[in-house]
Amino acid sequence: MENKVTRNLYMIPYALWIIFFVIAPILLVVYYSFLDIEGNFSLVNYQNFFTSTYLQMTLSSFWYAFLITAISLLVAYPTALFLTRTKHKQLWLLLIIVPSWINLLLKAYAFIGIFGTYGAANNFLEFLGIGSQQILFTDFSFVFVSVYIFIPFMILPIFNALESLNPTLLDAANDLGASKWTTFRRVVFPLTIDGVKSGCQVVFIPALSLFMLTRLIAGNRVITLGTAIEQHFLVTQDWGMGSTIAVFLIIIMFVIISLTGIRKRGA
Amino acid sequence: MTNTIIQFNNVTKQYDNDPVVLDNVSFEIERGKFYTLLGPSGCGKTTILRLIAGFTEATSGEIYFDDKKINDIPANKRQVNTVFQDYALFPHLNVFENVAFGLRIKKMKNKEVEAKVKEALSFVNLLGYEQREIRDMSGGQRQRVAIARAIVNEPEVILLDEPLSALDLKLRYQMQGELRDLQRRLGITFIFVTHDQEEALAMSDEIFVLNKGKIQQSGTPIDIYDEPINRFVADFIGESNIVKGTMIEDFLVEFGGKRFECVDQGMNPNEPIEIVIRPEDLEITSFDSGMLKIEVTSQLFRGVHYEITGIDHDGNEWLVHSTKKAKVGDKIGLHFNPEAIHVMRFNETEEDFDRRLESYSEGEADGE
Repeated sequence: MENKVTRNLYMIPYALWIIFFVIAPILLVVYYSFLDIEGNFSLVNYQNFFTSTYLQMTLSSFWYAFLITAISLLVAYPTALFLTRTKHKQLWLLLIIVPSWINLLLKAYAFIGIFGTYGAANNFLEFLGIGSQQILFTDFSFVFVSVYIFIPFMILPIFNALESLNPTLLDAANDLGASKWTTFRRVVFPLTIDGVKSGCQVVFIPALSLFMLTRLIAGNRVITLGTAIEQHFLVTQDWGMGSTIAVFLIIIMFVIISLTGIRKRGA
Repeated sequence: MTNTIIQFNNVTKQYDNDPVVLDNVSFEIERGKFYTLLGPSGCGKTTILRLIAGFTEATSGEIYFDDKKINDIPANKRQVNTVFQDYALFPHLNVFENVAFGLRIKKMKNKEVEAKVKEALSFVNLLGYEQREIRDMSGGQRQRVAIARAIVNEPEVILLDEPLSALDLKLRYQMQGELRDLQRRLGITFIFVTHDQEEALAMSDEIFVLNKGKIQQSGTPIDIYDEPINRFVADFIGESNIVKGTMIEDFLVEFGGKRFECVDQGMNPNEPIEIVIRPEDLEITSFDSGMLKIEVTSQLFRGVHYEITGIDHDGNEWLVHSTKKAKVGDKIGLHFNPEAIHVMRFNETEEDFDRRLESYSEGEADGE
């Protein structure tokens, strides 16, 4: 009896949190998505979403999120692999994680400085004799900065997966005739796929709704679903349309989570 | 083609500036026998295994396999397979694919793979378990999968790194028998690492006893049990009574303040030595007729026998295994045969030791 009471007591903060910060906002968003710009109940927002403008926006959001995730993965996996083999791995890992504690906006402004016409990057290009280039407000700078921001979130789960890999398995594969590459392909990668999946989740989903970077770094050349939501709420004041996009974003997130769902292995 | 398959020539292994793990070790392994590397943890036995498998490189010395130097050949190109202590089965593959792993790497055809895996699984009595996941297998079954995964590649040598240590006692006994039987059926070389002397004695054709990176003694289980070369081996292989003594002359040894007839010879007169008498070679008799007289200090019932401990008047402790009972505080006599006394010289090398023992049997032959 006692236990049940205390357990219910512990549940209160969690329940309150879920109700006020998860369930209520989602219900509100869903409610708003059915209101047109005059505040009447209608399905016009959903009709609008399936027009070419928004579908194209969704597609381009996906494309950039995919690019960011793929490049992050390509950089993060070898990095994590390298980190697990260094002597002071916790220190090296910390050095990679520390920048993620700094405010996103600060980092964005820093990159404006670095990539600007008179920034460090262009100075370096001049020094090499290539001459200054337009770096800021390009797809390149957008993807680059996004990857930079997301990479710690990709490295961490992969690093953890690699760390929990039993090193004897590598000896075993080697013993059975597998080369280093075959061992990686047939043993290491399949056994760390869960880390890769959760890394992709924590990168892809936020990347879908990136909005600040699109303005600061990409100069509004890249319009993602996140940017569209922001525009509708703050600029056009069309909360209904903004909510509708948000509803689709939420649905997409759930689909992605269930697609990359982590299957339980072992005991 | 000689019968030697693996040869170590003055192999030393040292990590950085740590003490040597293997100290100038040389030995030969013959085809088709069951070898055991026996020793306490940290004696270098697993290092020898890892050197043969190719997981680690020798600091100095040469390792030969089939008369070819293999120091620089990577593990995946060596014709040996390992059964690991924690089995190291691939958790993302089922039983069939675990066993098939080596064959798939060789790009063998599916049909052949299937036939070979089935054969290997039948060798370890696991037919019908092909589609099971590793997590659904018990410890003993995982053990068998690991063995099947090694033998399916038809290696010339199988290395087993304390594979039975995780099993409970009953299963361990059963697997000891099965492994020995499997080795005979396959006719290939098994090199088995263990710290369990009973396991070593029960399974091996040949035992290497290791301590502190050196091979202390090698020989058949009976040789090593009956004629331990030094205090370490005597102590490590089974329970024993080790007492300081003096070799008065050939066939006469003094210990515990008395002189006894023995079968050892070839030492210097009055050389200080140690003698070993196994507890099961001591027989309880009456106090008066005993060659040694002890006072019983403790008695444990071990099931098959009583384990009796007593002290003689010099303060030497004697351990006796007997089916006869004694009482604590009793004064009893102990009887033993001259053959029960094993004489160990201090700092005798294995070569000298072997030569000495051989000279005894020649002596016997002369006597006949």
